[in-house]
Amino acid sequence: MATESSEGDEESKIVVGNQQLVVEESLREMAKQAAWSVSSCKPGNGVLSLRDDNLESFWQSDGAQPHLVNIQFQKKVKLQLVVLYVDYKLDESYTPSKIAIRAGDGFHNLKEIKSVELVKPTGWVYISLSGNDPREAFVNTFMLQIAVLSNHLNGRDTHVRQIKVYGPRPNPIPHQPFQFTSREFITYSTVR
Amino acid sequence: MACFQMDLLNEAETALCPASEPSAEVPNGAAGHYLIGLIYRYTDRRRSAVHHFKQALSVDPLFWAAYEELCVLGAAEEGNAIFGESASLYVQKLYSGHAVVSQSMLSSTENKISVSVRNLSPHDPSPRQVKNMHSNTLKDNSGSYHGTALSVGASGQFINGSSANMTFYSTPSPMTAQISAVAPPPIYRNMQANGPHPSLLGNDGSSRSTINTTMQAPRRKFVDEGKLRKISGKLFDSGPRRSTRLAGESGPNTGSSTASSTGNGTSHSSKYPGASKLGSVASRSATFRKGQARGSESTDEGVQQENYDDSHPSITTSSTSSLACDTKSLEEGILMTTGGIIMSESQAITGASDLITLLAILGEGYRLLCMYSCQDALDVYRRLPHKHYNTGWVLSQVGKAHFELVNYLEADHAFSQARLISPYSLEGMDVYSTVLFHLKEDMKLSYLAQELVSTDRLAPQAWCAMGNCYSLQKDHETALKNFQRAVQLNPRFVYAHTLCGHEYVALEDFGNGLKSYLSALRVDERHYNAWYGLGMIFLRQEKFAFAEHHFRKAFHINSRSSVIMSYLGTALHTLKRSDEALLMIEKAISADKKNPLPLYQKANILTSMERFVGALEVLEELKDYAPRESSVYALMGKIYKRCNMHDKAMLHFGLALDLKPSATDVATIKAAIEKLHVPDELEDTL
Repeated sequence: MATESSEGDEESKIVVGNQQLVVEESLREMAKQAAWSVSSCKPGNGVLSLRDDNLESFWQSDGAQPHLVNIQFQKKVKLQLVVLYVDYKLDESYTPSKIAIRAGDGFHNLKEIKSVELVKPTGWVYISLSGNDPREAFVNTFMLQIAVLSNHLNGRDTHVRQIKVYGPRPNPIPHQPFQFTSREFITYSTVR
Repeated sequence: MACFQMDLLNEAETALCPASEPSAEVPNGAAGHYLIGLIYRYTDRRRSAVHHFKQALSVDPLFWAAYEELCVLGAAEEGNAIFGESASLYVQKLYSGHAVVSQSMLSSTENKISVSVRNLSPHDPSPRQVKNMHSNTLKDNSGSYHGTALSVGASGQFINGSSANMTFYSTPSPMTAQISAVAPPPIYRNMQANGPHPSLLGNDGSSRSTINTTMQAPRRKFVDEGKLRKISGKLFDSGPRRSTRLAGESGPNTGSSTASSTGNGTSHSSKYPGASKLGSVASRSATFRKGQARGSESTDEGVQQENYDDSHPSITTSSTSSLACDTKSLEEGILMTTGGIIMSESQAITGASDLITLLAILGEGYRLLCMYSCQDALDVYRRLPHKHYNTGWVLSQVGKAHFELVNYLEADHAFSQARLISPYSLEGMDVYSTVLFHLKEDMKLSYLAQELVSTDRLAPQAWCAMGNCYSLQKDHETALKNFQRAVQLNPRFVYAHTLCGHEYVALEDFGNGLKSYLSALRVDERHYNAWYGLGMIFLRQEKFAFAEHHFRKAFHINSRSSVIMSYLGTALHTLKRSDEALLMIEKAISADKKNPLPLYQKANILTSMERFVGALEVLEELKDYAPRESSVYALMGKIYKRCNMHDKAMLHFGLALDLKPSATDVATIKAAIEKLHVPDELEDTL
């Protein structure tokens, strides 16, 4: 589906997936610096399938709900966007329907920061981590946990094909309070 | 030489060394010295390298490539000193005796040569030896002659060798009888040998004259050996051949080009079909411009051939006048002029001295550029006669000089002229791509990159340009791949390593970035960009003392770049040496009025020193200069907030937000605005 509609109140939104993955230029993928783990998986469909840029391979869980994907960073990072690829047409009852995103310092103090409800999604689903407050554009955290609370048609296990996590780009010039925007400044700002 | 080409430097050294004590025993005299010099250079024995290059030069004063190498190593003497009268006399002597003069091709910037060649060809009154340096001309057979430096010097000894492989460009030179004009300007690749070149040029001139008398060969341009093959039909003359060395193609590339050229040279020589004793290519390789990837030698005819000047020590013993540096087209220009005019012996004499003067100027310019006294280099280059100035090599040298001075607009202008004159020249085009990167001209840059790749797929400069193109669009992974390709093509091409390092840093992979910068420095210690890159990594990792040390090294090498000065200032500031920092920043500001960065840094430093009034003044200045820069307003807002002038702060934050800063800054600014309305909360988290 090419359109994305979102409605609803703060806590739960109903989103339909995009076919294209389009992300702002100011964001970059953060997941390479992280350690990924899952609560359970079927042999052959493990956590690697979530990161392999291949939409054919998927992660299949194999345990009790909620199914968890844990992303742990070595240092506190600012995160802005989480994108999942799920497909109702292919996965039907394996497609997640309620997803909660939690963040914290470790397994002991995760706090839920976002919760979304999906309705027959096909494609990339964007989940923004920003709060309403403009000050909270990013979530500054050591660990992110994506929990699949329930599936479509009350399925037990879930399929997720790909997950990407985005954060802001760092300032190319270190120790500057602000980034440069105009061409005159950027031209002279570095030696190449 | 075979060993050298295969990178077995140790074996090569042992092969050459036993015989190298008395210079006469070094195989091929000057060429041998040159090869040894290169070996020493690559194995980090700088002093011995310098010694050998100087010996090479003394044996053959026209050995441009050796001069280039000297310049790159930073040990060059005044051009005039080497390319002096004695050199010209020497050259003349050589020539007078020999019918065959092997011309060392100075591959000075193709452009230069081609232009001069063209000038010469139409009326070839005197046999002019054109040194075709650059492969570019090769491609452009129709007429770009590259002045190939004539390695005339050793001609006496190697008459046979004189059948240097001169690839004659299909320039319509009516002077079949005359010696092809040799484009002497040995383009010194990396600024190295500005000085020595002039002498080299002189030699070439003399060699030319002799050749003229004896050979009625058509002009030959030496273009990469590969190219030679293509043109070989025309060129080869059993008689004296001029090996035109295409001296370093415009190799603004620091160092790497020389390295590459040497490599190329050697390989090229092997390609030579017999006649010429190109065996000892070493000399040629010296002049290799960065561009040339070794592998591409055969394929990359036009472009790289020039580079090889270095590699043919044997060929031309006389041709030792190798072609230096492409980029040092100045030299070439000089060579060209000198080359052209040697008709007879007397003419040879005049030719030789002209050649030498020409070489002197070129060499001097190159040397100064190597030393990064760019303004002087520019002046020297301007002394060249107009004809020579307009050749590709000189122009790309000029462009490089402007680039080092951080005058990107003039650099752009010079380089685009160079492209017009010599569209196939690859030397120095990587610097051009960086200039376009800085100016954020993505259209021009992608066009340049496409052209370069289609000109020569195996040249590292082309891939560097491509990589710059992707990097400009923030696609750092692809850019990294391109730069790695360039490194693969020629591991001695310094700039490719540095650019790899930049991409790793952009991807926050500091470990690999460090490795890349260090390998760049291994190839050429005087490559200040790599020092700068290391400084930046340490700055990010907050190892301020290291950062300051590295920036200072970069500053020592290139004292004119205002960007380096301002980073040095920042590093000093982080070390809490704010007064020194301010001094350095002041220097940066005075060095380059157009650069807003030092002003901004100054404002930053003043703010942290709580000298708000001063900071605000500086920022007002900046505001006039770049009215759409949001960080200026943001910083002003911050200052006003600290001074508790909330309404002004609010105004400036609003302005900053309107100018669309990046997302992090939006958050910071908004947070600051929120806090503005809580004056009793003394939070300084902004």
